[in-house]
Amino acid sequence: MKSSDRKPRLTLAAGESPFHGADVRPARERASRDLDWSILMARSQAGDRLAYRRLLEDVAPYLRALALERLHDRGDAEDAVQDALLTVHALRHTYDPARPFGPWLVTIARRRIIDVLRRRGRARSRETALDAEHETFAAPGTNLGEAAADAGALREALERLPAGQRRALRLLKLEEMSLREAALASGKSVAALKVLTHRGLKRLRQLLGEGSPPK
Amino acid sequence: MIATPELIEALAANAAPVRRLRPPLVRAALWLAFALLIVGLLGLSHGARPDLAERMRHATFVLGLAGSVLTGTLAAVAAFFLSLPDRSRSWILLPVPTLVLWLSVTGYGCLTNWVAIGPEGVRLAETARCFATLVLASAPLWLAALVMLRHAALVRPRLVASLAGLAVGGLSATALTLFHDLSATAMVLVWNIGIAAFAVGAGGVLGRRMFSWVAPPPAIAARG
Repeated sequence: MKSSDRKPRLTLAAGESPFHGADVRPARERASRDLDWSILMARSQAGDRLAYRRLLEDVAPYLRALALERLHDRGDAEDAVQDALLTVHALRHTYDPARPFGPWLVTIARRRIIDVLRRRGRARSRETALDAEHETFAAPGTNLGEAAADAGALREALERLPAGQRRALRLLKLEEMSLREAALASGKSVAALKVLTHRGLKRLRQLLGEGSPPK
Repeated sequence: MIATPELIEALAANAAPVRRLRPPLVRAALWLAFALLIVGLLGLSHGARPDLAERMRHATFVLGLAGSVLTGTLAAVAAFFLSLPDRSRSWILLPVPTLVLWLSVTGYGCLTNWVAIGPEGVRLAETARCFATLVLASAPLWLAALVMLRHAALVRPRLVASLAGLAVGGLSATALTLFHDLSATAMVLVWNIGIAAFAVGAGGVLGRRMFSWVAPPPAIAARG
């Protein structure tokens, strides 16, 4: 809040405008632009839609420049521009055409820029940006699609194993039998099952894209 | 978020003619006339305090009364000016001199003539009547100020609500001083300074919310 009360740096009109310095346009040009906007706003107050659209289209780039100067982010700046335009709309009855338009517009723009800065501060204090390394979301349900895709890939890879290895893996890993049970079920010795499982896992790893490809 | 050119199209399509606000001084005068009416009606129904004529001969009493009336009046004028986006923030200084006068006269009176408890002790009935006057005077003034200043919600809600609070506090304190015989110093302090401080503080803390009660701001709040 306090930082917003510092002297700002752009200006629209001479007189009591609080903004001065960085705008290098000649004072006369600025004054004539201010007068144009003042006339357009007076017509808008009377319900002239064309004048109103022209005014808003004219002030939008100016508001954008003001917002970018403070916010340094295009998305945030556009938010502030749109909020400022909505405020101009809501407060257009408070403008007195006998007075310069610049200070009126600049105060509104500053308020909305400060609002965006506050929102940004609040968001930063309680949110973490999501990047590619993060899993999608913390809730397990949101990752079900991924799990299903993984299961499909595993099933496919299993189908491509030699029959003996596939059967050994199915009994020992998927059905979670002990070596003795698996030996009874398959009619193979415990040692043979161990060898088949070891080779099957190694082959599976290669098929799923881990480790080095088979030579 | 819609694109800015689309927003401009939508706003231009909704550009119905609007009635310009009257000059801030005129609007402040209207509010003050309403305040005069309320305080006058309260005076008619309640009657002035019995010792008012005698009190008016004391400089501190008159100065304190002038302090509260002027602070209320100037704070109202400042609030109406500051509610407009293109008016300088320096308007906030307008009620400061009279506020200093009001505070220092009340403080001086308390220091030189500290009456812990009035001759009749703490009178609960009188305290309750004071409270009733306070509520009857300040509630309509406060509501009228919120409605008349609602456009400030989008520009300087806290500052304007605080100044409006000072205006309501100053004028309510005036009504209390005119209608109630406050003999205990602590009561004088509470009813004068306490009320004004409370109103200003409430405006500062709750200003934004107060204005949204009387006039929900357009889409901007929803986007926030």
